[in-house]
Amino acid sequence: MPARAYLLDAGLVSYREALELQQSLAAAVIQHGFPETVILVEHPSVVTTGRRTSETEVHLPEDTSVEVIETNRGGKSTFHGPGQLVCYPILDLNRHGKDLKRYVRDLELAIIATIAPFGMEAVTIEGLTGVWLDAPPRKLASIGIHVSRWVTTHGFALNIDLDPAPFTSWITACGLEDAQFTTMSRELGRSVSVDEVKPAAIMAMGEVFALEFDALPAADVVGLLARHAREPLATR
Amino acid sequence: MATGTQIEVVMPQMGVSVSEGTVTKWLKQPGDTIARDEALLEISTDKVDTEIPSPGDGVVGELLVAEGETVEVGTLLATILPVGAVAMEAPPAPAPVAAPVALAAEPVAVAPEPPIGVAPEQPAAVPVAADAASGNGRTFVSPVVARIAAEHGVDPNAVTGTGTGGRVTKKDILAHIESGATAPPAPAPAALAAPPAPAPAAPTPVAAQPAAPPAPAPVAPPAAPLQTGEVEEPMSAMRRGVMEHMRRSLDTSAHVSSAIEVDMSRIVAARAQLKKEYQASYGVNPTYLSFIAKATVETLQDYKWVNAEIRGEKVITRPWVNLGIAVSLEDGKGLIVPVIKNAQDLNLLGIARAITDLAARARTKKLLPDDVQGGTFTITNPGGFGTFHGTPIISQPQVGILGTYALVKRPWVVQDELGQDVIAIRPLMNITLTYDHRLVDGAYSGGFLRDLRTRLEGWEQAD
Repeated sequence: MPARAYLLDAGLVSYREALELQQSLAAAVIQHGFPETVILVEHPSVVTTGRRTSETEVHLPEDTSVEVIETNRGGKSTFHGPGQLVCYPILDLNRHGKDLKRYVRDLELAIIATIAPFGMEAVTIEGLTGVWLDAPPRKLASIGIHVSRWVTTHGFALNIDLDPAPFTSWITACGLEDAQFTTMSRELGRSVSVDEVKPAAIMAMGEVFALEFDALPAADVVGLLARHAREPLATR
Repeated sequence: MATGTQIEVVMPQMGVSVSEGTVTKWLKQPGDTIARDEALLEISTDKVDTEIPSPGDGVVGELLVAEGETVEVGTLLATILPVGAVAMEAPPAPAPVAAPVALAAEPVAVAPEPPIGVAPEQPAAVPVAADAASGNGRTFVSPVVARIAAEHGVDPNAVTGTGTGGRVTKKDILAHIESGATAPPAPAPAALAAPPAPAPAAPTPVAAQPAAPPAPAPVAPPAAPLQTGEVEEPMSAMRRGVMEHMRRSLDTSAHVSSAIEVDMSRIVAARAQLKKEYQASYGVNPTYLSFIAKATVETLQDYKWVNAEIRGEKVITRPWVNLGIAVSLEDGKGLIVPVIKNAQDLNLLGIARAITDLAARARTKKLLPDDVQGGTFTITNPGGFGTFHGTPIISQPQVGILGTYALVKRPWVVQDELGQDVIAIRPLMNITLTYDHRLVDGAYSGGFLRDLRTRLEGWEQAD
């Protein structure tokens, strides 16, 4: 039976704010059994680096002013910007197999299922985590995860309608020297909006992780967290 | 206190399909103190970074794998030394050692004095210790093991050790005692009643209590053999403390519980009104518990005996209220009752802030010993789980505990402006007072609950 989870469709949120939100939610999941929550956001343009990013990966052109943020997620550097659907599942892997690799494979499945209704067939490539279109390989979605006490933060970013140039001209995204990056709009030859893809993403996440979502209004998150932190106060 | 023996941190199993991981970052260095569950390092597998928590309290000893190295599941990553032991790679490390030791100086000295001459790690102890364990020499055992041994009259030399170099670990000695290989602990009843040394930053409420009245040493039933599928684990120090305290309280006080239904309409309205302001201006959530705590403290001023204590044949009352708030720790790991001192001097905001602060520090194990001492009355709030009634156990040596339960909308008979009975939908809460009938009578407790209800139902936001 699917478990109840929250879905937070947060719209355009800065990377830092979204990171803080994720961390509060993860702490609530770890400490108080707060329901698992899947966050959907778009970020203003930003470059983020993971623990294993090497210095040579970031090579911003001189006239570019974009914030570079170091994070605690797995994987190497990546780029976020409007037109990209970013999904941060705050899940307790105790409920989803307790297996880090399986979780990454499950996310790949969810991404593939998200784009399938648009008539796109994607593949995964052994050793190159993410979701790719084949022949020649073009990367459509990137994955980077952080896990603490089996609770996940960070997640995946699906390129829908944005200029993929920053992935290669600003950074060597994911540390892949010669990889191509693509978007759904580019592949489908029409302008696809993030809002158009969200329902498919929600359905795919629900199916892959056996979750049934209750919408969480963005305005109430703070109050909800506070309320939840209070509830387990006590017992005798 | 940390567990007594060296703790080994190994690369954990992170799923059946994960056989290895890369150490990306050590978050602690040799000589750093670390608490159980605090992150020690980060491991990267594929595109996932995972924090590896410390399995116990202590001081980081050696880091055996360098950042960037990839190792298989089960590989020894680091060692954690018990607090008080000297990290091999950090000869002068007085600071991290001193702090926890000072905190550990808890009033638990009822037990026979353990041999606390904390022995330093013996260099190259492996062959030497193995010899000693099998022979007659002085085996090094940690203070914890020594204490357990002393309490149960066990010679640690007679126990087969499974620790490093054949050393006797806490698990070994507990298993040895469980197995019935030892004589019953006849001569030291007080030792049994004394709680084990609590973790440095999280003393159990029990540790703050005066010594237990000498109870007859319980005769332990012979340990039943473990059935297939049953899992055995040692009880944590806090659990044992809670166990002892709950039993002793029931043996001490004549528990009686009364309940009252309270129409919380005005509190709900007041809270809705204050919530934004409190959160925006002070970052504090005015919880229902804060309102109830405030009204309770006021009511206790009129009912001194509910805020009292029995000492021998004397009744002790006081003009102040030190309000205990029961806080459960995650995963049923225990219970702690931090105390809001002089709660009668605080307004609603002050109480809300104190509750938030104490609960947060209780969960992050940052309470100081003083935070859990001197309570004169306690509130417990299990209603968050939806329960509507309960009979809590009094926190000794107090004589009362208030229970608050789920806030539920119910059809409720009220009078309209013409004095006619009508059914309205009202947010109702059951509130219980469990009192010690040795001191508090039924009528007196009923008066207390009635006045508390009057305060809550007629709430005028003044602060």
